[in-house]
Amino acid sequence: MGFFDFLRPKPIPKATFVTAYEGLFEKKIPAVRPISQLNFVVLDTETTGLNPKMDYIISFGGIKLSHFSIPVRNCKEMYLKVPIKNAEAIQVHELIRTKDPVALRDFAREFLEFIGPHILVGHHVGFDLAMLEKALRPFGLKKLQNPVLDTQYFAMRLEKGIQYDPSMGKPGEFTLDSLCERYGITLDDRHTAAGDAFLTAQLLMKLLKLAEKKGIKDFGSLFR
Amino acid sequence: MANVIVNRVKEFLKRYPPFSFLHEASLEEVAGQVEVRYISQNEFLFKQGDVAQQFFFVLKEGSVHLTETKEEKEKVVEVCDEGDVFGVLALLGKRPYILNAQAKEDSLIYAIPIEIFEKTLHENSRVALYFAAGFASGQVVVRTDLSQSQKARTSFKEVSRDTGLLIFTGQSDLNYSSQVLTCSQGTAIRDAVASMAEKGVGSIVITNAKKHPVGILTDKDLRNRLIAQNKGYDTAIDELMTSPVITKNKDSPFSDLYLTMIKNRLHHLIFTEDGTSDSPITGILSDHDILLSQGNSPAVLINALLNTWDVSEMAKIRDRAERLLEYYLENEVSIDFVASIISEINDTIIRKAVQMACKKHGNNHPEAAKVKFCFLSLGSEGREEQLLRTDLDNAIVFEDVPAEKLKTTQEYMLLIAQDVIETLLTCGFQACPAEVMANNPKWCQPLSTWKNLFADWIHSPNQQALMNATIFFDFRPIIGQKALTEELSEHIFNEISAKSIFLNFLAKNALLNPAPLGFFRNFIVEKSGEQKDKFDIKLRAMMPLADIARLMVLSHRLVGINNTFKRFEKLAEIEPNYRELMLEAGKAYEILMRMRASEGLQAGNSGRYIQPERLGKLQRQLLKNAFAPIDELQKIIRVRFQLDYFGS
Repeated sequence: MGFFDFLRPKPIPKATFVTAYEGLFEKKIPAVRPISQLNFVVLDTETTGLNPKMDYIISFGGIKLSHFSIPVRNCKEMYLKVPIKNAEAIQVHELIRTKDPVALRDFAREFLEFIGPHILVGHHVGFDLAMLEKALRPFGLKKLQNPVLDTQYFAMRLEKGIQYDPSMGKPGEFTLDSLCERYGITLDDRHTAAGDAFLTAQLLMKLLKLAEKKGIKDFGSLFR
Repeated sequence: MANVIVNRVKEFLKRYPPFSFLHEASLEEVAGQVEVRYISQNEFLFKQGDVAQQFFFVLKEGSVHLTETKEEKEKVVEVCDEGDVFGVLALLGKRPYILNAQAKEDSLIYAIPIEIFEKTLHENSRVALYFAAGFASGQVVVRTDLSQSQKARTSFKEVSRDTGLLIFTGQSDLNYSSQVLTCSQGTAIRDAVASMAEKGVGSIVITNAKKHPVGILTDKDLRNRLIAQNKGYDTAIDELMTSPVITKNKDSPFSDLYLTMIKNRLHHLIFTEDGTSDSPITGILSDHDILLSQGNSPAVLINALLNTWDVSEMAKIRDRAERLLEYYLENEVSIDFVASIISEINDTIIRKAVQMACKKHGNNHPEAAKVKFCFLSLGSEGREEQLLRTDLDNAIVFEDVPAEKLKTTQEYMLLIAQDVIETLLTCGFQACPAEVMANNPKWCQPLSTWKNLFADWIHSPNQQALMNATIFFDFRPIIGQKALTEELSEHIFNEISAKSIFLNFLAKNALLNPAPLGFFRNFIVEKSGEQKDKFDIKLRAMMPLADIARLMVLSHRLVGINNTFKRFEKLAEIEPNYRELMLEAGKAYEILMRMRASEGLQAGNSGRYIQPERLGKLQRQLLKNAFAPIDELQKIIRVRFQLDYFGS
C-alpha cells in the first residue's frame, strides 16, 4: 500500500465467469489453422446512442459460424434491462421491448460464455466492442482478449488491398448496406441486433471464400 | 436462441412445400434447427457416392445443379432454384447420394437435420406422403414436383377431411402373401433360384435353424450380386442375401409399414410373429402390394370429381389421373386394375357432366326433362379399355315418346349431349372424327329407332353396318335408365339368333387383319403417309383380338362382359378345349393395352403407332408372343364360322 494509492482506481474484483473467460486464452490459435476450421462469433449490438461513455447496450445479437455453416440454434439474442429515462432513444431505434430482458450481470456472464475464445467479427466492430467492454467492466473485465475481425476493414483489404486508406474512398462504400448489396445478400430485419449480425455473418462467409481465392487461407494470413 | 433469425428462416421455409404443410409450432422447431450454409461457385455440397449427410437441403439463394456422373461425364439431372428441396434420399433411404450437388453460383443453403425432420415425418402424414411420392417416382424432389402437388392439393380442396395417409385403404384391404418362400442358410443359389422359379416369386427369405428370418434375396440381387459379379451357381445364398432383415408385425398400422418400407427403401417387408427378426415368419409384404392398396388414391380423385361443379377443376383432376396411370404403368400394376380405375374416373366425369347439363337445361324443358334416357359409352370406352383420352365414342338412347313429342325430346337430348361433349373436350378427350358422338342427331335416338338400326345392321351386314356393329355393340350404360340398354342387348341377341348368318359376316370382318406374324422377319409397317414405317398396334393387333372376343361373346350370348381380356377369361371357362389359348389371348390383349398406353404417354399421342426399332428387346419379345394367339384364334374362327365356304 503506497501513499498514492488513492489516485489509482480501486481494483474491481473479478467475477468468476470473467476469470473463466480469461483462462480460455492460454492456448493460442495456431497460425496454420485453415479458415474452414476456425470458429467465429459474429456480433452486433443496438445501443441508446453513439457515445460509449454516455450510452449503453439495449440488445445484443450473436451468431456462431464455423465450417461455412451457421447453426440457427446457436444464435443468440439478448435484451438488456434499461432505465426508463432513455425511452426516447429506444423509440428512435424502433426497438420493441421484449418480454424477458436480462439483468446486466446475467448478460455479462452469458455473453462471455457465448463468445469463448472465438474470433469476434462485426461490422465496424470497434464500437460494439467498446460498448461491450464498458458493460463488462463492473465485473472485473478490462479488455476482451479475442482476435477481432472487422468485416468493414476485411472487405476493404480484399477489394482494395491491405494498403488502402479508407479516407480516400467514396463515403458509404463500405457500409453494411452497400456491402450486402454488392455481395447479393438480401436485406431484411435491419436494425435488430440479431438481424444485423445475421447479415454480417452471411457477408463474412462470402468474404472468407473470396479471401481463400486470394490466398488468405488460414488464421495466420487472416490476421497478419 | 435468436428469434429474429429463427423467424427469418421460418418465413422463408413456409413458402415452400413440404414446409408449407407444417403447423406453426413444428415449423418453428424445424427452423430453429436449420444450419445456414454457404457454398461458393463450383463447390460441391455432396458428391455421388458420398455417405448421406445428416441433413437434407433447401436452396435459399443461388443456384445448384444436381448432376449425375456416368462414364466420367457429368449430366445435369435437375437445376435447383430458390425453395427447391434436394438431397432427400438421405432422409428417406439413408443411402449414399446418387447425384452430385454443385453450386453454379455462390449459394446459401438451409441444411435441415434429418433427426428433427424424421419426427415431423412421423407426426405429419402429409409431409411423409409428400416425400413418399417423390421417392416413389424415383425422382429428385424439386420444386417443379412440389408445385404440382400443391396444384393437386387445390384440386382436392373440397375434400375437406385431412385423411393424410388414410388416402390409402385401411389395413383390411392390404393384401400380403402369408405363403413365404424360404430356404435355410447355406443353400446353394442354384437351388434357391430353382424354387423361386417354380413358385414364380421374386424373392426368397433365408431362415436359420429356428426358422427365424436372417436375410432376403430378390431378383435384383441375382442380377447385381451373382451374375454381374460373375459368381458361380454353387455360391451359398448367405453370400448374396441382404442381411439382417427388417421385420414388422402384420398388425402394425399401415402408415408404419409404409413408412418403414419407404425409409429403408425396401421392396419387401417381412412379417414375423412378434415383429422382430427373432420369431417365425408370418408373411411378406411387397411394394407391389402397397401399390395395389393405393386403390383409394383414385378414390380421392373420384371423390374430388364428385365434389366439384367446376369443369376446369374436373379437367385438372383428369390430368392428375393421367399421372396416376403413368405411375401404374411404370410399376406394372395389372391392366385389369388400371383399366377399371381409369374407366371409373372417366365414367364419373361423364356422370357429372350429364348431371350438370340436366340441371342447366331441365327447367327450361320441363316436359322433355321427364323422358328417361341413358348415356352410353361405345367402342373402347364401352369396353372399359380406354386408358388414354383418345376419341370419344358415345350415344344417347331415350325411351319412346309419342310422335308429336319426338322432335322436342330429341332437341333436349341433343342439348344435354352437346354440353356433355363440351365438358369432355375440356377434360382433354378428343372428338370422334367420324362423329360417333351423342351430340350427333344420328346417334341420339329413342329406343325403337335404335332397335331398328341394330336390326338393319344385323339383317344387311354390309361393310358400314359391320363397322358400326363393332363400335355400337360394345355399348355400356354410364348414367340414366339402365333398363333401356338391357332391352337393347336383349334385342341384339334376338335378332342375331333369328339371323345367325350375321355372325359369319362379323367373323369375316374379324379376319380382315391377319396376325402380324411376319413382324420380326419383315415389319408390317404402314407403307406411306405420316405413319410410314410405324406399326399400327391398334389396327393390326388389338382390333383383331377385340373383334374375335366380341364375336365369340355374341355367339355364346354372354351379356355384361365388356372388357376384351375379361371376355377371353370368360371364354376360357366356357370353352375348356381352348382354355389355354383364351387365357393367352386375354394376356396378349393386356400387354398390347399396356404398350399402347405407355407409348401414348411417352409420345403424347394416342400411342396407336409404334416404331418397331424403338422397342427394347424385351418389348419385342412380348409383342411377338402377343401376336401368336391372334393367328391361332383366327384359324379357329375360320373353321367355326366356315369362312372358307362363305362367299362375300
